[in-house]
Amino acid sequence: MISELLINAFLVTIMLSIAIALIKTRTVIFTVILTSAYSLVAALMFITLDAVDVAFTEASVGAGISTILFLAAMAYLPKKEEKSISSEFVPALSCIILGGILIWCSYDLPEIGQLTAPIHQHIAPEYIKGSKEDIGIPNIVTSVLASYRGYDTFGETIVVFTAGVAVLALLQKKDPAKKNKSKPKQKIRKNA
Amino acid sequence: MISSTIGIWNYWIVFCLMMIGLFLVMGRKNFLKKIVGLTIFQTSVFLLYITFGKIKGGTPPILNESIDSIYSNPLPHVLILTAIVVGVATTALGLSLVLRINTEYGSIEEDDISAQDLVDYHDDIETGKSVDFKFKQ
Repeated sequence: MISELLINAFLVTIMLSIAIALIKTRTVIFTVILTSAYSLVAALMFITLDAVDVAFTEASVGAGISTILFLAAMAYLPKKEEKSISSEFVPALSCIILGGILIWCSYDLPEIGQLTAPIHQHIAPEYIKGSKEDIGIPNIVTSVLASYRGYDTFGETIVVFTAGVAVLALLQKKDPAKKNKSKPKQKIRKNA
Repeated sequence: MISSTIGIWNYWIVFCLMMIGLFLVMGRKNFLKKIVGLTIFQTSVFLLYITFGKIKGGTPPILNESIDSIYSNPLPHVLILTAIVVGVATTALGLSLVLRINTEYGSIEEDDISAQDLVDYHDDIETGKSVDFKFKQ
C-alpha cells in the first residue's frame, strides 16, 4: 500500500520536472513534445490512482489529439518564442504567494486514500450499488456517464460541436484576408 | 511522519503544477505558450480530482463478483472524463484564434501586437481620422 503511494509520488515529481522544463524552453517544438510527455505521465498517474477510463481518455485525447492540433498549428506559426520586454516578476510573485496559500491549506485536506474521507461517504456507495441493479453495466463509470448523467454528456457533445463550428468559422476567414491584404481591410472597417 | 508526508505530497506537487500553469498563462507573452499553460493547469486540476477519488487498496470501479474489495470512487472519474474532452475543444478553439491573430498581425507575441495597435491608433489620430464613432457626428 505504501509502495502505491511511493510510485505516485515519483510520477508526480516527474511531472513537476517536465513543467519546470516547459518554463525554461523557448523553442516551440520542444514545448509541444514536453506537453505531450506531460499528458502521458498524467495518464500513468491516473492508472495508479485506479482511474483506468480517465487514463486511456487522457492518453488518446490529451496526449494524442492535442499534440496533433499543436503540431498542425505550429506549422503556420513562428518557431521561436521571443523574450518579452516586460518583467515577469509580478506574475511570478503572485503565483508563488497563491501556491504558498494553497499548500498551507493542504494540511486540512484528508490524506490520500483514506476511506473515511467525506468524498467517499456521501453518495458514491449508492451509485456503486445502483449501477448493478438499475443499469446492469459492470463498468460504473460508463453507467454513470451514459445513464445517470446522460443529459450532461449530451451537453458535452453540444460544447464540442460548438467549438468545431467556431474553429471552422475562424479558419475559413483566412482565405479572403489573404487575397486582399489584411491591413487596409482593417482600416476600412474602422472608417466605415 | 514519512507516510503522512507522502499522504499529502501529491497535493503539494499538484498545487505547484497549477501555479506553473498559471505563471505560463500570466507571465509569458507568447500566445502558444499561454495555451500550453492552460493545458498544464487543466491536467493538474484533473490530477487533484482523481487523487480525491482514490481509496487505499481499492480497485478500479468495474464490478466483479469474484473480487471482494473496495472500489475507488467513480464519480470524480466521470466528471474528469467530461472535462478532458471539453478541454481539447477549448485547446482547438484557442489554437485557431492564435492562427487567425498570426495571419492578421504576422506575430503571436503580445508586445508586438499591442505595439502595432498603438501605431495604428496614432496614425489615425495624426491623419485626422476619428477613431471613435461617438464624437464623429
